[in-house]
Amino acid sequence: MVITQPNADAPIAAGIFLVTIGLVIVRPRRLTEATAALVGACVMAAWGFVPLGGAVGNVLGHWNVLLFFLGLTGTAAVAERSGLFEGLAGLTARLSAGRPRRLMVAVVIVGAVVAAILSNDAAALVLTPVVYVIVTKFGLEPLPYVLACTFVADAASLALPTGNPVNVIVSDRLGESAVGLVPILLPAAVASVVALLACLLVVYRRQLPAHSPLVPAAGAWTSFGELPRPLLAAFSVAVAAFALASVAGVPLGPTLAAVWVVLLGVERGVGRRVWPLDGIGWSLLVFVASMGILVDGLSSAGVTARLAGIVLGPVRDSPAAVMTVSAGAAALSSNMFNNLPAAFVMADAVKSAGLSPASTHAAAIGTIIGADLGPNLTPAGSVATLLWFVLLRQRGLAVSSWSYIRVGLLVTPVTILAALAVALLLGVPR
Amino acid sequence: MSEPLRLLIAISGAEDPAFVGFVARVVAAGGPPVDLTLLHAVDAEARMLAGEGLAMRHAPWPAPSQGATDRRLDEADEAGAAALLAVWKERFEAEFPTAVAVASVVRRGRPEQCIVRAAEDLGADAIVLSARPGPQASEPGPRSVGHVARFVLDHSPVPVLLVRGSVRRSGGA
Repeated sequence: MVITQPNADAPIAAGIFLVTIGLVIVRPRRLTEATAALVGACVMAAWGFVPLGGAVGNVLGHWNVLLFFLGLTGTAAVAERSGLFEGLAGLTARLSAGRPRRLMVAVVIVGAVVAAILSNDAAALVLTPVVYVIVTKFGLEPLPYVLACTFVADAASLALPTGNPVNVIVSDRLGESAVGLVPILLPAAVASVVALLACLLVVYRRQLPAHSPLVPAAGAWTSFGELPRPLLAAFSVAVAAFALASVAGVPLGPTLAAVWVVLLGVERGVGRRVWPLDGIGWSLLVFVASMGILVDGLSSAGVTARLAGIVLGPVRDSPAAVMTVSAGAAALSSNMFNNLPAAFVMADAVKSAGLSPASTHAAAIGTIIGADLGPNLTPAGSVATLLWFVLLRQRGLAVSSWSYIRVGLLVTPVTILAALAVALLLGVPR
Repeated sequence: MSEPLRLLIAISGAEDPAFVGFVARVVAAGGPPVDLTLLHAVDAEARMLAGEGLAMRHAPWPAPSQGATDRRLDEADEAGAAALLAVWKERFEAEFPTAVAVASVVRRGRPEQCIVRAAEDLGADAIVLSARPGPQASEPGPRSVGHVARFVLDHSPVPVLLVRGSVRRSGGA
């Protein structure tokens, strides 16, 4: 499937990849990430780094991953439409009893659960605005809570395969079982969330008053009772069924897609008429498929093998060192460009390094930790954050980046170290 | 009758309610009538992060429609600011029964810049604000004044009454 090209072509393949990533980050003329990646994949194939049959085979070969993202984005969309997020935010409001510190703890815990089960992006994109509404009802300053939501979305995303696209992509490409990594990554995620919470409580110790300025009436919060019962029951059953099927070794993609279809049926049953494909992450599917082809091109041009030699070569025989180095490399490259492409490249580099099974296992865990937690350095990924500040200036809002970056600079290394410490303890054979 | 003294009072929401009585005692004793404007600044930074900022996250995840999210956040801002100012307006009206007026204003942006600009636009004679109460606020020292109060002190075009440290609660003194 992979044709061998002379290594002299490596700079061309690397160039195609880097230009594509540049377009993904900068998004000139509202070009979407998916379109940019697709164009890049086509150029990579047209240049002969990946034969056409290989490209098609690549997409079909990762059917499990693609079905997984179809099911995951679909399920998150049903959850959003059902009002589940409002119910969860209402729960945090009630748990907090009007105490700002307790509200912070509740937001972090609920955000962590949502991120682990419905993905980091669902937590950040859907839960954050809902939490914002809650916080303003208490008359509190929203910034600490908004940042807590964004940070916990990534900090908790290690926990389960559903938490972060990176988890599934890395395990899929390294031939590791995504479910098999849970016994290590779940405790690591708990450590990183606890570390995050400690950081937030310290950083905002002055900003969180003892009592909230406003005391909204109890009826101000959405309760789970307002959600359609059958849908709520279906969500609970779906989580349990998915967990059981994962443990039993059923491929995750078809299971999650089936969960989505069943939830759609129940949604229809309770009288919600929606276009079933609403909220599906087509762009995520196209992006992931295109990235796979792009990285295969890099691989056949020998780029990832060279990277592997530089990064992993010196430490290849010690699984603990491999885990630490791959976490660091994944975290750095996630900030240099974007964490999904970074995870793809790292996974392929690990594969081409020809490590022992123990080292490959350690590298998978390290890469997932780095690519999941690294982007927290700045809430939108470093380059995207810079662009965001430009956008804000254009709108006449002078915003200092300091309030994010000072927290990100603290949270990112602390959460990575916490997760890594646990993973080294549990995941490296002695 | 002399011109009323126009005071711009910054309300973040986190102020100690005893702040109101303290201001009344300092300002009103035998002086000219007062005209109060309560200002609450909605922090645009948090608002933008919760809306626009997240759309720039790293993955091509299907983001909820930006328009709907923006509307929801704007409504929440307005409702929160209105509720907050209503509570404080009542407190000021109780402590300043002879005030010419107690008005409420909401601005969006960086709170410190909103306060200074509002003082210019509204022609205030002075700005009144409370340093952020917190575990360290009552201890004297350079960290006892937060960045908002610091900025207002440095940039205000008019005199500033900064209430820092805990306020005694007794009504008469």
